[in-house]
Amino acid sequence: MALMEVSNLKKSFGELEVLKQITFDIEKNDVVAVIGPSGSGKSTMLRSLIHLEEVNGGSIRVDGDFLVQDNTYAKPQDIKKITAKMGMVFQHFNLFPHLTVLRNLEIAPSLLKTESPDAISRRCQDILQKVGLSDKANSYPANLSGGQKQRVAIARALMMNPQILLFDEPTSALDPELTGEVLKVMKDLAEEHMTMIVVTHEMGFAREVANKVVFMDGGEIIEANNPEAFFTNPQNERTKAFLQKNIK
Amino acid sequence: MVDYWNTMILPMLEGAKMTVLLFIIAILISIPLGFLLTLAAKSRVKPLSWFAHTYIYVMRGTPLLLQLLVICFGLPMMPVIGEYLVLDRFTAACLGFILNYAAYFAEIFRGGLLAIDKGQYEAAQVLGLSKWQTTTRIIMPQMFRVALPALSNESVTLIKDTALLYAVAVPELLHFAQTAVNRDFTIVPYFIAAAIYLVMTLLLTVLFKWLERRFKFE
Repeated sequence: MALMEVSNLKKSFGELEVLKQITFDIEKNDVVAVIGPSGSGKSTMLRSLIHLEEVNGGSIRVDGDFLVQDNTYAKPQDIKKITAKMGMVFQHFNLFPHLTVLRNLEIAPSLLKTESPDAISRRCQDILQKVGLSDKANSYPANLSGGQKQRVAIARALMMNPQILLFDEPTSALDPELTGEVLKVMKDLAEEHMTMIVVTHEMGFAREVANKVVFMDGGEIIEANNPEAFFTNPQNERTKAFLQKNIK
Repeated sequence: MVDYWNTMILPMLEGAKMTVLLFIIAILISIPLGFLLTLAAKSRVKPLSWFAHTYIYVMRGTPLLLQLLVICFGLPMMPVIGEYLVLDRFTAACLGFILNYAAYFAEIFRGGLLAIDKGQYEAAQVLGLSKWQTTTRIIMPQMFRVALPALSNESVTLIKDTALLYAVAVPELLHFAQTAVNRDFTIVPYFIAAAIYLVMTLLLTVLFKWLERRFKFE
């Protein structure tokens, strides 16, 4: 059984259909890059997976449990349990500005009592070291660069031990010279076999780090393939046009 | 000189004590009450939200002096229940200020809430925090930070508004200044009163500046 199964997902904002019959599976250890033009529904699709948006049809099944089955959502308590298996990294970081880096990492596990205080602070140290920010533990987000903020946001998501990590355009709000440090952390996670779904405009990342590339346009999945085949031999005309525009 | 001290300054300081006491009581109760009003106004329970909006509109839309007169003199004149609504002057004054200022603080907090990015709620949600934890740990501290300059401004206004108690015969600072002016036929007490108000607003300003630095998050 796949770690995540999505079938016939539908979502409209009023008259506008943003998702039409989205179906895909995510296996454990997959790194999936979701690409496509703006307004293609990539972000809405990703946000639906962790219940930041409610869909109008279809099913999402995570690790065997249905978040939504044929348009019927699970009970609120179950939704919490299911979405807790996922972590999310946002385009605009969404760090808590009134808390230090360390408190940003600790706050959720300590409030939810997922681990002992000792274990939490030990893991804070480990994870901060992993994202290369041990020296910033006591800084406030306002004093960090964009790349540092996004690395803290990734660290904060990791503190919850997610089985799947979702990234919503993690480098789009960054200056070009700062994207590298964030992509590096994501590449390290991929090498440690973290399961990731990454909505991105970084073709280099999609090509080198992802093992599946999904191309969305107009609320549909137009083409999905391994990166080698996807980039060298795209099948659909829309994919070809998009790649021509986005790869120099 | 000692005489002058005893007959003029001491009563005025006594009056200032009344002013400070009223200020502290009013601010300590109206700030939390204002926050509850903000939550009520935002509530999905419609009658609660209507009540809060109407309340804020009425309290901000009518003069504070009129409200004080109603509470001190109007309530006891109400038919049947009036006799139970005779409050001692100081209690009535406190009540008036609390009810009025809570409406202003509610508007300030509403502005503070509007300033908080939707992403903060989303981040809290995906981390699994409950609504209560999100409100108390994530939203309120940020709202308070945004609201501080406006809170500071409103508090200074409150200090000065206590002078309205002169009109309902509560023996506060201005009352004693006016008494001294009439008795001694000199305007010096006005300036002494002004100086005492200035000291109080200065202390308040310093306190809020300190709070703003403390909550800078940098």
